[in-house]
Amino acid sequence: MSEVVIETRNLTKRFSRGEQTVTALRDANLEVRRGDFLALMGPSGSGKSTLLHLIAAMDRPTSGEIRVLGQDLARMSDGEIARWRNAHIGFVFQSFNLIPVLTALENVELPLKLTRLSKAKRLEHARRALELVGLADRLRHTPRQLSGGQEQRVAIARAIVTDPDLILADEPTGNLDANSARDALTLLSRLNQEFGKTIVMVTHDPHAARAARYVRYLEKGELLPDGQKPEDW
Amino acid sequence: MFRHFSLIWKSTLRNKRRTALTVLSIALSMSVLGLLMAIFNMFYNEGSSSAQANRLIVRNRVSLANVLPRSYQARIARVPGVKAVAIMQWFGGVYKDSRDTRNFFARFAVDADKVPLIYPEYQMPPDQLKAFVSERTACAVGNKLASRLGFQVGDRVTLVGDIFPVTLELTIRAIYTAERDNENLLFHYDYLNESLEPARRDFVGTFTILMDSPEDAPRIAQAVDAMFRNSPYQTKTETERQFELSFLAFLGNVKAFLGSISAAIMFTILLVSGNTMAMSVRERIREVGILKTLGFTNGKVLAVLMGESLVISLLGGLIGMTLTAMICAGLREAPSLFTDMSRLATPWWLLGACLAVAGCIGLISSLIPAWSAARRPILESLRVTD
Repeated sequence: MSEVVIETRNLTKRFSRGEQTVTALRDANLEVRRGDFLALMGPSGSGKSTLLHLIAAMDRPTSGEIRVLGQDLARMSDGEIARWRNAHIGFVFQSFNLIPVLTALENVELPLKLTRLSKAKRLEHARRALELVGLADRLRHTPRQLSGGQEQRVAIARAIVTDPDLILADEPTGNLDANSARDALTLLSRLNQEFGKTIVMVTHDPHAARAARYVRYLEKGELLPDGQKPEDW
Repeated sequence: MFRHFSLIWKSTLRNKRRTALTVLSIALSMSVLGLLMAIFNMFYNEGSSSAQANRLIVRNRVSLANVLPRSYQARIARVPGVKAVAIMQWFGGVYKDSRDTRNFFARFAVDADKVPLIYPEYQMPPDQLKAFVSERTACAVGNKLASRLGFQVGDRVTLVGDIFPVTLELTIRAIYTAERDNENLLFHYDYLNESLEPARRDFVGTFTILMDSPEDAPRIAQAVDAMFRNSPYQTKTETERQFELSFLAFLGNVKAFLGSISAAIMFTILLVSGNTMAMSVRERIREVGILKTLGFTNGKVLAVLMGESLVISLLGGLIGMTLTAMICAGLREAPSLFTDMSRLATPWWLLGACLAVAGCIGLISSLIPAWSAARRPILESLRVTD
């Protein structure tokens, strides 16, 4: 059995909206092992993105425990979390979220600027990451000069350039046409199979979920037991 | 910080028109601030020249508009440590058309024979000096004034008096060269005195004392003022530098005036820069979320956002200081209207200080918007739509 890289115990997240309190995630227990490719599925508002954000330490839980790569995220300061995220997490957004004023190469280089690598090394790594996603000929293009599919591939290159232990993808195919979505999923599968990257992907698209090795479903803030789907799915 | 310079620079150029307008407004404000600081420096910080240090000015204790009897000259000359005493009488008057500012220059009635001794910095050829001293209606003009108005030796100059109701017909017999005060016209006090009605004769605006040593200045000043303390015309004796400043005080509280304008300018830049930064940051809240997702700490995000403001304000400051240097160079060459502008310098420390002010304003103006953006939770930042 490979090492557990994500472990949550009774993970709960509540949001306050005025007088009301909304429970986005309730008592979620999850284990993800190194090399897994997990798809989190569920309808809108089921809590899948909330769970992903908690794993990425982009948000803090209301209660429960979460250990990612052996770190108890609740005990880390904001600064420690930022540095940890830079070193260990690659995040892919639905809407790509590239910096519009930077070229593809500069966007991919950005996370490396927080490391001690020299400029030459940073650019070498960024180039290699872009080559890996098939965009060696688009280094100097700004996001506006790229198609949606190409933008998402740049975003994936940015997510992998630091060689993270964990890649988290939030609806990575949500804004893509069918062909581009297939390319992006192929790329994620390749990263999982060839490079052994652990991937957690949120999606509500069953086609996308097929790229994963296994799927866990969420419904109304609850992480359903392994193998169980929401009733209307 | 330098690692992120390309991000800062490209963010600065994101909205080129807004950045250009902000840089321009900062540049213009900073150029005015630089000019005011240069003027302040010229008035209050510049030290005396070696020739100035040896001179004292005696004037009426009440004000510069009040006069002193000419007879004081001989009594002052007897004070130990006084090498020479010369009359220096402001004439005023009109040369040609007073509406043309080019025709304005300082005119002084002096003891012509004492000019070379008391004002060694006024250099003139010996033959011209001799002609100036020996001829009652002769005058000497500074080299800058001569080149401005095209004066040459032998030219006639008519001055129509205003303070003194006389018209003086003068002949230029000498052109002196000097680094400062080279836009004056000097003529014989005796000529003016004899032209006046008897009741107004033998009164003088100021005396210039040449001392044996600058160290004697306090003692001589005290002795001169003590000598006339019980007379109807009490004196005030001060160094030439102090005299210049008291002359300046005619304008009012110049220090407060310059200070308040400078403060208003800085406040304006602060508002302009603050407004730009607030807009810029507001447009980029989502990017702040992206940067933090990639691992940027709050401090690094703050540095990037404040760095952008710093770049804009330093650019504005640099352009502003270039403008200041150009304006000061122009003013140095322009006709002196109120004071001798040839001393209006823009030393490196002054330009550096203005640039530092620009930088500080940039940092201060961006602090609040950048700080609130940097502290914003990631998810809240990412939810902001473009």
